[in-house]
Amino acid sequence: MSIQWLLDRMDQWRADPALARGKTATTYGDLVDRVNEWRARLDAQGMRQGQVVALRGDYTAQAVALLLALIDRGAIVVPLTEAAEVHREEFLEIAEVEVEIAFDADDRWSWQARPVSAVNQLTLQLREAQAPGLVLFSSGSTGKSKAALHNFTSLLEKFKTARQRMVTLTFLLLDHIGGINTLFYTLSNGGTVVSVSSRNPDVVCEAIARNRVEMLPTSPTFLNLLLISEAYKRHDLSSLRLVTYGTEVMPESTLQRIAEVFPGVKLQQTYGLSELGILRSKSRDNRSLWVKVGGEGFETRIVDGLLWVRAQSAMLGYLNAPSPFDAEGWMNTGDSVEVDGEYIRILGRKSEIINVGGQKIYPAEVESVLLQMSNVRDAVVVGEKNPITGQIVTARVNLFEPEEPAAFKKRLRAFCREKLATYKIPAKIEISGQEQYNARYKRMRRADPTP
Amino acid sequence: MTDQVDNNSLDRAAVIEIVVAGVREALVLASPEAETTELTEETRLIGAGAVLDSLGLVTAVLEIEQRLADEHDLVVVLADERAMSQKHSPFRSVGALTDYVLRLAAENTHA
Repeated sequence: MSIQWLLDRMDQWRADPALARGKTATTYGDLVDRVNEWRARLDAQGMRQGQVVALRGDYTAQAVALLLALIDRGAIVVPLTEAAEVHREEFLEIAEVEVEIAFDADDRWSWQARPVSAVNQLTLQLREAQAPGLVLFSSGSTGKSKAALHNFTSLLEKFKTARQRMVTLTFLLLDHIGGINTLFYTLSNGGTVVSVSSRNPDVVCEAIARNRVEMLPTSPTFLNLLLISEAYKRHDLSSLRLVTYGTEVMPESTLQRIAEVFPGVKLQQTYGLSELGILRSKSRDNRSLWVKVGGEGFETRIVDGLLWVRAQSAMLGYLNAPSPFDAEGWMNTGDSVEVDGEYIRILGRKSEIINVGGQKIYPAEVESVLLQMSNVRDAVVVGEKNPITGQIVTARVNLFEPEEPAAFKKRLRAFCREKLATYKIPAKIEISGQEQYNARYKRMRRADPTP
Repeated sequence: MTDQVDNNSLDRAAVIEIVVAGVREALVLASPEAETTELTEETRLIGAGAVLDSLGLVTAVLEIEQRLADEHDLVVVLADERAMSQKHSPFRSVGALTDYVLRLAAENTHA
């Protein structure tokens, strides 16, 4: 069926390692055999084409084999992970999940039929087309999570083009467009998918060293943690050739430090959305935030400073929200960009722009400056309402060592005065005692820091 | 007990001192030479001849709120709709802002 091309390819690499997790390695041959076992099991259980199936698991041999078997069967897959456990019931309901298959820590599975019959128009449409589906939930940092329904066949189309075979660490999980992208990119090219049970910098570095990982797709927040922890000094990371970063704006200061720490490694910005898939991208150079995005199947344009994208791999729509596409199929990404010829520079989410007396401020620019201060471990900048200037810039800062708040405030302001226009300097400065990133290692810029 | 507990002896002189310190903090942020600028009750904070721009005023007000909380356990919001809709703006001068603080403090005490 729709992924026979991939299974055929995988069958040619039977002896090569496909997955590595902890001390367990799975060859392509083993993986293909497991896919066949799952096909038989799905038959035995009476799984039909078009059924909505939640897959709770990580990048283990069984879970990945099931994912492939479900696509082959034409099922609509809803990947669920530990990170989104609190939203599980809500997600099951929105996606109208009919069968839930869960894997435990030892990769043993359990099967549960739910008394549900999907009636969502988009789901039925996909079922009618006899195409496999994928449901991804937006992280929902603001408001309710939106469920994007994809035609899995369209999403996988681009992987038919042969690219580099690499040992790649999957930083993002199966329930994220970035995780799905990494998994299929790697499997389509005969690479090895290395997964970790925790995103702790030392755990990640240890896995890189043990498996001689060549590519690390990650987020700016994780790279900042990597620098802070100095875990890169404790492990042999000489195998790394490519580090990619995306999902949020990279602070300039973090990029420069990463470039210093990894001189021989190519640094590459990525760009994608759960609604559209991952675009091909090319950074101008290792130290540059300017990037070209697009590639086959993607068109881009800038309207009023915002990036719009039209993608062949775009989702069919949201299961629980109006379509974000215009009549021609374009979607406003909500990302503010600067343009220089073919290159763009992503400034931030339009919704996160802070407006101080008519002057616009992007949180990432201020965060980048704060991260250069001594004793600052992390910094999140948000806008707060104020009757005098409309909004003010508020900085929430995590420190390494305790510091007297008034003295810290003075020091921060003196530091910023040399690097930022006055209106960008945080008016309100809070020292935070809790981490300010989510399970996907993305900074949270919520108005209210307390959960 | 006849004397009211007055927010750790929050008298007018103490409030003026805090308001002046907050304004100075904002001034120094804009230009370090302002460390020696003379500030009195009559010093205008907004409008013609004011020492602060709107950004400076925001900083000064946050600073004053912080100091009142830290030094006198007095939690007040100086910049809100109420302050903005006063007939005579509490932000017109150091003296006016001092009076406004004392008024809010009195309301806090009697509440």
